Amino acid sequence: MRFFRIVRPAAAALAAVLLFAAAPPARAQEPALRTVVIDPGHGGLESGAKGRFGNLEKDITLAVSLKLKALIEKGMDFEVVLTRDRDVDVSIENRSAIANNHKASLFISVHANGAVQKKAAGSETFFLSLNATDEETRRLAYLENNSSDLQSRIDPSTDDDLMMILWDMAQNAYIKESSRLAELVQGELDAMLGTRNRGIKQAPFKVLTGVACPAVLVETAFISNPDEEQKLASDDFQNKVAEAVYRGLARYLRKGE
Amino acid sequence: MAAKKRKKGGISRSALVLTFLILALAVLVIIFFNGQGGEKVKRGAEAVAPKARTEAKAKPVETRAVTLFFVADDDDLLHKETRTIPAGPNEADEAERALAELIRGSEEGLSSPLPARTRVRQVFIAKDGVATVDLSRDVAENFAYGSTSELAAVYAVVNTLVYNFKPVKKVVFLVEGAERETLGGHVDLTRAFFPDYSLVAR
Repeated sequence: MRFFRIVRPAAAALAAVLLFAAAPPARAQEPALRTVVIDPGHGGLESGAKGRFGNLEKDITLAVSLKLKALIEKGMDFEVVLTRDRDVDVSIENRSAIANNHKASLFISVHANGAVQKKAAGSETFFLSLNATDEETRRLAYLENNSSDLQSRIDPSTDDDLMMILWDMAQNAYIKESSRLAELVQGELDAMLGTRNRGIKQAPFKVLTGVACPAVLVETAFISNPDEEQKLASDDFQNKVAEAVYRGLARYLRKGE
Repeated sequence: MAAKKRKKGGISRSALVLTFLILALAVLVIIFFNGQGGEKVKRGAEAVAPKARTEAKAKPVETRAVTLFFVADDDDLLHKETRTIPAGPNEADEAERALAELIRGSEEGLSSPLPARTRVRQVFIAKDGVATVDLSRDVAENFAYGSTSELAAVYAVVNTLVYNFKPVKKVVFLVEGAERETLGGHVDLTRAFFPDYSLVAR
């Protein structure tokens, strides 16, 4: 028993050294914000939620995302990458892979909400909830204590299983920043849209789990609510949503610097 | 005498052969009936079980109450509704019945967050507290989920199972017997779910 008590921490330490040997010292060269990835929800065969008047979530998310992209490119010094720029299917894994491959600094997924209740209304901003198992919680504690920049810390030579586990939990290292981004974006949505403020929430959304940077999912309004569906379909409301997210983003960046 | 003796000897020899033949036949008959007897015992055992079941059915059916989680029209929360279902024989059977009732819908004017066509294919409760729920493809196909309705569908199932069945600590989903990424593009179905009672009205 005593032997194992000594060997176990030693093995863990060795694993940690091997894993992070190639990584530069933490925070020494944190990259400046450069790329924002915007993710228009759904697309192609997958329409997302549907409205009574026939509007589809996938069309509204794309329209809002294109407007947001234009605003950021005009007003900020960032490259904007969309996970799709037309009506095509993109797998959820590819959405986070696009963000990670572009070394995204921020990830914003744009959605329109749907509920069984026709009266459900309002805007809300989500960030990831962990809902982690015990085993994951242990790994998580380790990641939180050791990683500020997961991207540079995952050595390409790391074996596949470990890579998968790390990528699968990539967002976990950014929960605090994601929460701050969600709060600021939601504040602007509330100020600009005149919709019910449903606040910021956490949920286990698949598209957020693999993203290795602060990430939020914006539920602009309810397409399942006939009043809000008509708003969502209008150019004016879409412009307001894009402007609100843009302002939230700007506030996030100002505070972060 | 010698001839008699010989004759006697002849008779005893054929008697010996005859005895041998009778013995052999007897052995064969015993083997034959033993084999059949074994069969009969087996069939008998099989026949006993259904008989016992019909006897149990004849008695008044034992029931138990379960709490189901539905959505209401005027808020975004899950609301509890109590329902009586037949009890036993084990908790997985009861869990299947509870979910079938959840899909069938409310008796108090609430709505089920799950598509009405959905069938419960199986519920399996493992010793480590993980319940695996296998739903028919209807739960995910031809149904347009938004984030809110997808969260409601997932947590109505998870809460119903964990709230009512003590051995269940968390829930894993299968759709038509296979793992699936999401129901409608939002909630990560590849992980085990703990219940979320923050979505439930007080």
